[in-house]
Amino acid sequence: MADGKADKEHVHNRIAVLRAERGVSRRELATALGVHYQTIGYLERGEYSPSLHLALRIAAFFEVPVEVVFSLTPFPRLGSA
Amino acid sequence: MAEGGKPRMWDRWTSHREEVLQSDLMQSWYATRSRRRALAAAGLAGLAMIWAGTVVSWHLAPSDTAMWVTISLLGVSVVTTVPVIGALNVATRGTMSLAESRLDERQVAERLRAFTVAHRIMLAVLVAVVVAVLAADTEHVPMAAVVVGVIALFETHMLLPVLVAGWRMPDPPPDDEEDEEDEDDASAG
Repeated sequence: MADGKADKEHVHNRIAVLRAERGVSRRELATALGVHYQTIGYLERGEYSPSLHLALRIAAFFEVPVEVVFSLTPFPRLGSA
Repeated sequence: MAEGGKPRMWDRWTSHREEVLQSDLMQSWYATRSRRRALAAAGLAGLAMIWAGTVVSWHLAPSDTAMWVTISLLGVSVVTTVPVIGALNVATRGTMSLAESRLDERQVAERLRAFTVAHRIMLAVLVAVVVAVLAADTEHVPMAAVVVGVIALFETHMLLPVLVAGWRMPDPPPDDEEDEEDEDDASAG
């Protein structure tokens, strides 16, 4: 039941890709967002879904719309489209 | 900060504690999930010893045997739980011990979940204690048993959340430097 709920509420994200693209470390991103550096790792691994507030702040940090970073469906792999 | 710009002793202690909780102190103790679960199990064993002391006092006090057995059990419990709780506090990065204002939203959510589970376990413990007391002969309850029982209740109430958090904690993501090392190894291979 809990696992099913977690699957249903899973939010896919591209934080790791954006972070690598911009050359930002997890600790740097965490410091900019005011969260623990492990939280960035859990977000990237999809083991934690952020609040709307944190999601918007992450999008603002990368200066992209929030739907570029987060999606309810998996992001297409590079070169697949 | 105190007047004059000098940090007060409490501020210094708090920042030192935070520093220790964010360090990798005794990392080998809690590096894997199985080790964290072994630590949590050792902590539970430590708590069980205090409950065992209560049972011994209930049946044997007042006597020298009851006193020495109970003191020994309490001593072993302290020796077991102090390092276990310390290690689990560092493993969870102070999620259960720091003020909520020092935690981020994921840590607060994890803390609430651990408190919820610990609360349910504590309720079961209280029901078990009530059933055991009602079933036992309560005409002559030794004071020692009451005192040790109260200590057991307090300790269980205080330590369960940390033990639950340690038991539930998934493997933390690797640090940036560890990632870079992995990438270097992959490119070298």
